[in-house]
Amino acid sequence: MIEFKAAVVTAPDSGVPILDATTLTLSEERISVIGANGSGKSTLARLINGLVLPVSGSVEVEGLDTMRDGAKVRQKVGYLFTDPSAQLIMPTAIEDVTLSLRRTIRNRDERTAAALRALTDIGLGQKADVSVNALSGGQRQLLAIAGLLAVAPSIIVADEPTTLLDLRWRAHVGALLRSLPVQLIEVTHDLDSAARAERTIVIDRGAVVFDGDPAEAVHMYRDLMYGRASQGVDE
Amino acid sequence: MITLLGIYRPRDTPLHNSSAAFKMALLLVTSIAAILTNDPVSAVGIAAACLLLLASTTPPARATFRGMAGIAIIAAATSGYQMWQGEYFRAIDTSADIIAIAALALAVTSSTPMEEVLDLVSTLARPLRRVLPPETIGLMFSMMLRAIPEAAQILNEARTAARARGLERSPRAILIPSATRTVGFAINMGQALHARGIADEAAPRAL
Repeated sequence: MIEFKAAVVTAPDSGVPILDATTLTLSEERISVIGANGSGKSTLARLINGLVLPVSGSVEVEGLDTMRDGAKVRQKVGYLFTDPSAQLIMPTAIEDVTLSLRRTIRNRDERTAAALRALTDIGLGQKADVSVNALSGGQRQLLAIAGLLAVAPSIIVADEPTTLLDLRWRAHVGALLRSLPVQLIEVTHDLDSAARAERTIVIDRGAVVFDGDPAEAVHMYRDLMYGRASQGVDE
Repeated sequence: MITLLGIYRPRDTPLHNSSAAFKMALLLVTSIAAILTNDPVSAVGIAAACLLLLASTTPPARATFRGMAGIAIIAAATSGYQMWQGEYFRAIDTSADIIAIAALALAVTSSTPMEEVLDLVSTLARPLRRVLPPETIGLMFSMMLRAIPEAAQILNEARTAARARGLERSPRAILIPSATRTVGFAINMGQALHARGIADEAAPRAL
């Protein structure tokens, strides 16, 4: 369960509001977040992992405050970025997953075995010793997911995880994410994917403007964006 | 050379079974010995031994050949200049030294998982623990190696973009986007580390 309690985010230097006071309780297993570029949806997602902290109000994940218990929150919440390249640190696939396990498994052989299991489970067992630079974009995103799953988070926040992928990988990664036994919060521009959630939140200009049924949310968002496009895109 | 950063493969060879500390010490001692030896016969002998050590680790063939070909070109250019100066023995000695050190460095890279290197750097950094946690220094070392191919790719893309705009002769059109995108990559990587909780463990205790 994730609880936003009047959480406000402003730009660090200018104090310009990025996310207005937001109060939400997220308990569904599959939640999608949609909104235009710069609307504040990634900020909302980052609040869950403690990557962004509210200037007022609070965010709690399973009873842990992201401000006070950031490290513990990050053990529960895995965060998947749009571009997996920045998320992968070690030279080969298995070494990258092993890095995630350093704090939980002290024995190196056990750590390597666990990393290999995580890679095999996700279909990258054959690529364990391959350089991350030699993997395709889709394989890199799978590797980033394997790195998250290796530490068994209960929540995954995915920030546009399929935006950079081709159609084949988009379908594969999307289906994989939806099949995971975790609570999934997906920020996306893919309205088909958003509509498959149990609940959809629409963010516009730093505020939640719709929260509820995915089909209605997508319909409302389309109307909002097409209406704005008809008035021109200069804002 | 960039492709060589991911050439480690698990194998059962003497070098793979040696500790990272031993291999680093071997690299250091051999490099000093190669540089101090001015006899071309000994230098060629050391180079041959290092090449054999590299072959014994059975690294990925294509990446290794490409990497060593690049080294051979550098060695040939260096010794070519010395030959032109009439210093034939010195030319042989220099090129053999370059090949020996590069081959041994590759042998160490191809037989040592990054995790062992990270552990070694963390251990060596223990005396600095009052300044920075050893784990942080090890992590910084890994990130530096990881950033090299990304920075090279960014530079390549900036060069291509400049060419597409007809600005291939403008250093500004290449360097400014390369620098800003590299900084962006570094920020993204920092955020990703934070998100993965890796930075939490490596964070200075005072925080």
